[in-house]
Amino acid sequence: MKLRRDTVTGIVGLAGCAFFLWASQSIKQPAKLLEPGPRLLPYVAIVLVAVSAVALIIKGVKDRAQEEKPYFPKGGIKKITKSYLLLVVYAIAMTWLGFLLTTPFATVALFYDLKGNSRVRLVSSIVIAVLVTVGLYAMFVYGFQVKLPAGILFE
Amino acid sequence: MTEYINALLICLQPINLLLILAMVCLGIVFGAIPGLSATLGIALLLPVTFGLSTETSFVLLLAIWIGGVSGTFISAVLIGIPGSSSAIATCFDGFPMTKNGQAGKALGIGMTASFIGTVGSVAIATVLSPVIADFALHLGPWEYFSLCFCAITLVASLSKGNIFKGLMAAGIGLMMGCIGMDPINGATRYTFGNVYLTAGISTVAQMLGMFAMCQIIRDNARGEAKMPDADVVNMKGLGIGFRDIFENLKTIVFAFLSGLWIGFLPGMGSGISNMVAYGYAKSISKEPETFGKGNPAGVWASETANNASLGGALIPMMALGIPGDGITAMLIAGLTIHGLQAGPLFMTEQPDLAMLIFACVMVSAIVTYLVQILTKRWFPYILKIPYHYLYTVILVICYIGGYGISNTMFNLYVMLALCFLAVFMSVAGLPTSPLVLAFILSSKLERYFRQGISYAHGSYAEFFTRPISALLLAVSVFCVIWPFLSEHLKKKKAAASAAN
Repeated sequence: MKLRRDTVTGIVGLAGCAFFLWASQSIKQPAKLLEPGPRLLPYVAIVLVAVSAVALIIKGVKDRAQEEKPYFPKGGIKKITKSYLLLVVYAIAMTWLGFLLTTPFATVALFYDLKGNSRVRLVSSIVIAVLVTVGLYAMFVYGFQVKLPAGILFE
Repeated sequence: MTEYINALLICLQPINLLLILAMVCLGIVFGAIPGLSATLGIALLLPVTFGLSTETSFVLLLAIWIGGVSGTFISAVLIGIPGSSSAIATCFDGFPMTKNGQAGKALGIGMTASFIGTVGSVAIATVLSPVIADFALHLGPWEYFSLCFCAITLVASLSKGNIFKGLMAAGIGLMMGCIGMDPINGATRYTFGNVYLTAGISTVAQMLGMFAMCQIIRDNARGEAKMPDADVVNMKGLGIGFRDIFENLKTIVFAFLSGLWIGFLPGMGSGISNMVAYGYAKSISKEPETFGKGNPAGVWASETANNASLGGALIPMMALGIPGDGITAMLIAGLTIHGLQAGPLFMTEQPDLAMLIFACVMVSAIVTYLVQILTKRWFPYILKIPYHYLYTVILVICYIGGYGISNTMFNLYVMLALCFLAVFMSVAGLPTSPLVLAFILSSKLERYFRQGISYAHGSYAEFFTRPISALLLAVSVFCVIWPFLSEHLKKKKAAASAAN
């Protein structure tokens, strides 16, 4: 049986609640407080999410006979996974190698990833990528005094 | 008054005027391109403001906001796709006007209506906010708690689709707000031994991850980045005259007042006001059948209302410290970055800065109008910017911003995690506005609630016996109950009519 999106959301919500309920037990509650203490808001949030999750599961089960339009078109999940992984790889590479070394490569990769049906030429992409990297570096480091990662290997 | 004139003079300094001009242009581009928005523009600019003075930071943020909100009508008129939800009703008649060869006139109406809406509403916000802030100083933690609670429930209950989705999003926002130290005792919550999490989740990381990054990769995966070409002729001049304004005066006045009021209410804003005003314009028209076929009154109503909401949203933000929507939440985050807290104390203790905000919005609105008049003929080219280049640059700026929050890579990973959460929420149909509002208000909500109980020596009764607090709580309860009640009434009515 295929689960509706509401049901899946509800199940994920309940799992999240269980995790945060477990994590809430480690919050230290000072003794003899006049007010409810630091565990109040976490509990309120958990109850709110849990109640909503149960309501969504019930709704999902009730509507299970109805056809549900897929959120992403064909190939969309593959596309978004690819884009997300690219961003993760860029972050990891930047952690080790710094902004200046990784950004030109990431920029070219992102040009190709986001191009859709547009035509992208490798040479012009490389030139634009280098210009973007240098331009942003100069703008943020010298213009706005914002530090950029140098990379663990070069620190 | 002296503070306002001083603030105006600061805005009119050449360097600030240049910054306003640049940011207004950027804002118009962000507003015009469907998928980008003023919200995203502000999110990208927040990290830039770390190294700038408070005044300069706000000049940048407010100018891009005004340009961005105003620019949403461009794509609505030229290609029939709204730049954001605030311009949905503009498409109804703006695009048919373009198809009828009146693109120049439709754009002229959009520009002028935006200008009237923004300038008028900001003038009212400038006068009203200090009065409301003075009144708010007499309120206690009970009223403030109820106000924050009311704002969150209002936004959650107005969420599209299902109230439980809105409530779940608000719950996630509260949970995220719990991460770090609690605001009264300093107890650590959900840090899992990570020192970086002790300070809580950065608002900037949240905005960049959940708005900018998520939107770009999601739209790319859904194939929503491509736009049709605009078919335009006759783009010379403003396209309208004073006669057009007088002919539609009644529509403009109603749209302005409704936009101002709807903007004032948390969670409603320009996305709703443009539809309400459009509906009214159609109802009072002598030719309602011409609506949807290119009636200029439709564009007047929609654009005046959505820009009037902007001034309306400024009032609770400035006077009470309550953000009405995602954009004002980000502006409050901008204040927090500079160690300031929006609210009544801010209005009374920092009147210079408070007035600078109002003055900057006013100057930005005027600059936006002038820029739009001068560049109107180039509007179709904005929609031809190659998206893959633009989006890539935005993603790289997100990374710079994520790192710049604390000069560590940690926030960058937080941003990626929040981007993942935002994609999941989009797929699940969970709205982001309640999450953002609950996250921003969570510490206030908790502090006021716990302070209220402490001050009342452990009693909860004060929340219900103080009139303003009780009224706000009653509104909150009504907001949660109303969707169920209205559904029940509808069913009952349908059953009754079926029986007859």
